[in-house]
Amino acid sequence: MNAKAIVAGVIIVIFLIFCAWSFLESNVEYTDFQNAYETGRTVQVEGTWVEEKGEKYNAERNEFTFYMADKNDQIVRVVLEGPRPNNFEIATSVVARGQFVSEDEFRSTNVLTKCPSKYEGTAEEMMGASGKEYYE
Amino acid sequence: MIGSIIIKIAFLGIIVSLVAYYLSFRNENQKFLTYARIGYHTSVVGLMVASAILMYLILTHQFQYTYVWSYSSLALPTGLLAASFWAGQEGSFLLWALFAGLVGVFLMSYSSNKGYEGQLMFVYSMVVGVLLLMLVVKDPFLRVWESFPGQVEAGFAPADGRGMNPLLQNYWMVIHPPVLFVGFAAMGATYAFAVAALLKKDYTHWVRPATPWFAFGVLSLGLGIMLGGYWAYETLGWGGYWAWDPVENSSLVPWLIGLAALHTMLAQRRSGAFVRTNLVLGIFTFVLVLYSTFLTRSGVLGATSVHSFVEPGWMAYILLLSFIIFFGGFGLLLLFVRMREMPSVPIEYNYISREFALFLGAASLIFIALFTIVGTSSPIITNLIKGQVSAVDISFYEQTTTPFGIAVAFLAGFAQILWWKSSKARNIIKNMLPGLIISAIATGIMVAFGLSTFMMILLTFAAWFVLVVNIQMAYKIGKNNPRFIGGAVAHIGVGLLFLGFITTAMYDRQQTIQLVENEPVEALGYTLTYTGYTPAGHERWAFNVTAEREGRQINLAPIMYQSDFNNSLIRNPDIVNRLTFDFYLAPLGLDTKEVEGIAESTHTLQRGREKTIEDYTVTFVGFDMDSDQHAMGSSSEMVIGVDLEVEHNGDVERVVPEVVNRAGEMDFRPAMTSDASLEFNVVSIRPDQEYPDRSSVTLDIRQGGTQLTDSGPAKTQDVLIVEASIQPFINLVWLGTIVTIIGLLITIVRRAREARPKNVEAWSAE
Repeated sequence: MNAKAIVAGVIIVIFLIFCAWSFLESNVEYTDFQNAYETGRTVQVEGTWVEEKGEKYNAERNEFTFYMADKNDQIVRVVLEGPRPNNFEIATSVVARGQFVSEDEFRSTNVLTKCPSKYEGTAEEMMGASGKEYYE
Repeated sequence: MIGSIIIKIAFLGIIVSLVAYYLSFRNENQKFLTYARIGYHTSVVGLMVASAILMYLILTHQFQYTYVWSYSSLALPTGLLAASFWAGQEGSFLLWALFAGLVGVFLMSYSSNKGYEGQLMFVYSMVVGVLLLMLVVKDPFLRVWESFPGQVEAGFAPADGRGMNPLLQNYWMVIHPPVLFVGFAAMGATYAFAVAALLKKDYTHWVRPATPWFAFGVLSLGLGIMLGGYWAYETLGWGGYWAWDPVENSSLVPWLIGLAALHTMLAQRRSGAFVRTNLVLGIFTFVLVLYSTFLTRSGVLGATSVHSFVEPGWMAYILLLSFIIFFGGFGLLLLFVRMREMPSVPIEYNYISREFALFLGAASLIFIALFTIVGTSSPIITNLIKGQVSAVDISFYEQTTTPFGIAVAFLAGFAQILWWKSSKARNIIKNMLPGLIISAIATGIMVAFGLSTFMMILLTFAAWFVLVVNIQMAYKIGKNNPRFIGGAVAHIGVGLLFLGFITTAMYDRQQTIQLVENEPVEALGYTLTYTGYTPAGHERWAFNVTAEREGRQINLAPIMYQSDFNNSLIRNPDIVNRLTFDFYLAPLGLDTKEVEGIAESTHTLQRGREKTIEDYTVTFVGFDMDSDQHAMGSSSEMVIGVDLEVEHNGDVERVVPEVVNRAGEMDFRPAMTSDASLEFNVVSIRPDQEYPDRSSVTLDIRQGGTQLTDSGPAKTQDVLIVEASIQPFINLVWLGTIVTIIGLLITIVRRAREARPKNVEAWSAE
């Protein structure tokens, strides 16, 4: 019984270490550009697309380039390895996952877009869309 | 409004049912049982009527109802219009509550002749009760002026609704959510069985009547998950059927727990062990379904998922959190209190017994569930610990679950060979031999075809092993007692599923391709040609691509369109289904490209415009018609000089080739640059006297006797950007799912038969 308990204990400890190690290893933090640059790690940065600076898709290399401002308003050029993300133009915010490859390029493998609420309509929308005939 | 009132009546009905069921088993009084049933049936009828009303309101476009306005529109076709019933939060809770209520009707008649009804339906009434409470709070029957008080005048009816999210506009939207909610409802029943066992202090016999319900939960939730995966693959263009997305993960976890419980319950029936394990697992099936709902509906995952969750308000958040605490707390507290009086049957530590193999298999399933839930909850965990949100990478799931997946696959074969209690080593080896040999050969072949990592080779071996052994077992059992074949068939399906996972994960090839209009491109064994886009109805565009392979041509038409609903680009893939693979074409975008024109041997120059030829810049300045210069010759001869300015390495010089018109006969005199490297010949001239700038000249230019060609004018052409991929043997995934479901159905029939009172001597007598 004791031997069994020890074996079981060892297995559980190994399991926990494995779990914690994998968890830390694959953890991708949410942070800002400053921190991402300093640590050089793969991170996720939430921010907004700087529309004035435009965006460009390079079909040749399958790269989508845009400028993104993080919560500290630091603007960085982001190169996404892939096409323009879904809903990019209307996203209220974007989350870029990647790392700095040089001082002025944040290379991203995945960009998520957060869209304005689609589940809750507003009264203005309702009146705007079809209020006319009601008031006629 | 009538709908809201009916919801409240249904809620009152379930309260009556709850209290009366409690009194019935507390006082052992049959009279209360009658009241309880009336209460429960009232509630279910209420849910049916409320659902019918909501469906009616949606089908008749009653946009004065906020829910109808929010999720449907006049433009939706009937099928999708009906599906907008569950497109929003309130409606999906109504659907869940309706299914839970209906499942309860079966549960009631199932349990009534087994002496279980009081406790079981008391607990189950709580499940239906919280769903109804949710509906009382988040009323699907609010009218717009009630939702927007002060902003919208009473009696206002919008002319049209906001419509359905285009991502959901698909026939899968009609099928997938209902199946998933049947699974959710079934998980309420499994919870009720475990807690009812605790209330009844029957810790051993409950597993018998509960087994078919656990199997039903595993079947329906599993089918729901796979339909979701197929939806993502077929329509959403995710490129695969599984993306470790929180929505997928969170319903996978209760499924894995239910599946583990199904196996340890079999072991308990045989050996009497795993009493506490089964009760805990039973409790967690429903608690995890609630947790799943909490993760995906409360907005708590925020930015970390592909699904853009929206804050549904703190109300749903608080309610769902309290439900989890309530159901988890109630079940576990009861378990804790009753712990001492439970029989403790030690696990027979015979390591080569079926019990022990089942235990290991179930433990592996639980570990997979644990890793999945830890990974999915990582934004919450890291936020609590570090105050900083972070998410795990998909590699976390792959890394942690693969070893346990190998264990599950291997044990699903191994356990079938073992006998209960103990097995003789010689028999085991004899029975395993065919499986081991065939698996080794098949794995060897797959390694030869490029399977590389150690873990994947192990997994492949285990997958073949479970398949071969279970085919062997199905044959053996089928000969003698086909009714018992369910387990073996389900595990054949599991083997097929695992093989499908491996082939699609390890042998898939993908490529991002640019398809210039009408220019064939070779990719992944196909010759692809984009031939332009055509309207595909509902303001959608089909992008036509012909795919040619071995002389056979197939037309593919992935869809892209700008949706008015959220002003975003929607992309749907198109797929060529073949027996051994799928060719998957997901559109990424439409671009334009400057393409060079067709090369010409002559160069046409417009007056005043520069043109670059090799490293010379040539400008056609004008015609030189100074006749005096040529007056020495015959007067009938007219010479026209073509005045060219040639720039080379910063040096500019004039070169004037000539056209000589001698009595209508044209003669051309070439001219050379001063270094004699370029020779200019006039081919034709087109002077325009009215607008001299429109004059042009066509030249033949030679360098060292070789004609220099012109690239011709540039053109813009459409370029379709697609991601093409080959998904080898993906049919194994779908086939495996179907076979597993058939196996589970056979199991349910068998176990339900076994649970009939007349087939049981002991358990109902207590």
